[in-house]
Amino acid sequence: MDFFLQQCVNALQWGSFYALIALGYTLVYGVLRLINFAHGDIFMVGAYISFFASTFFLSPDGPSLSRELALALTVPCSVILTSGVGVTLERIAYRPLRRKGAHRLYVVITALMCGLVLENGNLALLGASRKALPDLLEKHIYVIGPVAVTNLKLLVIFVALLVFILLHAIVSKTRIGMAMRAVSWDKFALPLMGIPLDRVIVFTFMLGSGIAGLGGMLFAMSYPVLDPYMGAMTGWKAFIAAVVGGIGDIRGAFAGGFLLAFVEIMVAAFLPSTFRDLFAFSILLLILWKRPTGMFGLPITTKI
Amino acid sequence: MISVENLYAAYGKIEALHGVSFHVRQGEIVTLIGSNGAGKSTTLKALMRLAPPESPTVTGGDIRFNGRSLLNVEPHDVVDRFKMTLVPEGRHIFGNLTVMENLSLSAWTRKNEDTRKTLDHIFGLFPRLAERSRQRSDTLSGGEQQMLAVGRALMTNCSVLLLDEPSMGLAPVLMYDMFRTLKRLNDTGLTIVVVEQNARLALEVADRAYVLDTGEIVAEGSGEELMRRPEIREAYLGG
Repeated sequence: MDFFLQQCVNALQWGSFYALIALGYTLVYGVLRLINFAHGDIFMVGAYISFFASTFFLSPDGPSLSRELALALTVPCSVILTSGVGVTLERIAYRPLRRKGAHRLYVVITALMCGLVLENGNLALLGASRKALPDLLEKHIYVIGPVAVTNLKLLVIFVALLVFILLHAIVSKTRIGMAMRAVSWDKFALPLMGIPLDRVIVFTFMLGSGIAGLGGMLFAMSYPVLDPYMGAMTGWKAFIAAVVGGIGDIRGAFAGGFLLAFVEIMVAAFLPSTFRDLFAFSILLLILWKRPTGMFGLPITTKI
Repeated sequence: MISVENLYAAYGKIEALHGVSFHVRQGEIVTLIGSNGAGKSTTLKALMRLAPPESPTVTGGDIRFNGRSLLNVEPHDVVDRFKMTLVPEGRHIFGNLTVMENLSLSAWTRKNEDTRKTLDHIFGLFPRLAERSRQRSDTLSGGEQQMLAVGRALMTNCSVLLLDEPSMGLAPVLMYDMFRTLKRLNDTGLTIVVVEQNARLALEVADRAYVLDTGEIVAEGSGEELMRRPEIREAYLGG
């Protein structure tokens, strides 16, 4: 039982990463019906940006700041710069295709290529040696009953929850959020209401990529070894989590992320860990078989 | 107010309008009638400057609004700066939003204005919308959705309203109601351009009408005048 509870905490942390990435997939899909397959690599870029930012802030020849201050400055750096990367991708890769009215297939292939460009561009630029994020947080371990949890784990889970609540508020309460929901239903009518479609799309990419940047930074703090391919598999899995949750729905992305992490961690904890992906994906397949639109997804119908 | 001059428009390589010219004066109801594929919807989408692939690319001619060309204007700016909007064919309301959200979203360009007066005006025209303001709009009936589509357009504070097949899918009673409402709106100063397959209905309310056939204007005149012409009666009014 103690072991199980401990694994639950681990699943919550691992699920937070999936959830933070899945939110970006689901936002962009919800608004554009586009699966932004470069999103996992945007997460990777976020981790690297946090590496460069924190190394710079801590460097004795540079600002040489305290750890707390460096952490406080690295967060906005990662979020803002990563969202800049996402917006740039939208500008140079997706928008021209949208303007030409290209078929969705071409857009998806473009997204895959953007991902590869980010991965291999990173490899070419920075070389294959792995980077290690400097320590930004003094480690504390809290023992609550049978469970031991670090302050970093708590921070990760707390941030994921906070991001979800904020995002939910933005989408359901604000005007731009209302416009995002409107686009997800009907892109054609939005300009007729005087709303610039491109601005809504850019805002969506900003949100999604910014969240991925934050996720990348927290991931790098938890597992401080960075490599250019770190976003690929994690990104794929987060995408699957978003689909299982019901892609296009932010509650779905959040729940799907935690569900996937829970299954993975528990399988690895109680069965040979090589079974992890087999079991995880089989369970997800079962869910999709029973509910093809995911846990929160609804099939869309229109009235003529 | 609006003058369309020798307009050519195409979807990709397929030309849909071959030199269409017409004009709309302030305060008029003008209708474009014609059979399927004549270019009626294409003309309205071109006026709104909507983007391909759903909408055509203008390949020649000009669209002028109070003398200024709309050709390089973005669709949301047509709404924002020129106060013209379109109720599209098939309504295109935001089904995942409530009635109220649909309406308040449409006041996007009126950030600091008080929109309550417009809202009261819309609810006065369509009391059903007030009753259902908290309901998700895809639960509305077809007629109510059409009311919402018109209400939403009015919420942008437009002075020119384009409507594409407002009678489509409506029961005859609702069709007449809709056109009566359009007439009322026109009486308060709104300029209206309406595209209709139900030519009789449109000609009855219109000040002037144009007949489109395969991308060209083949006849024009006042509503009454066109209704009396034998060839129009034959082709569009069922004899």
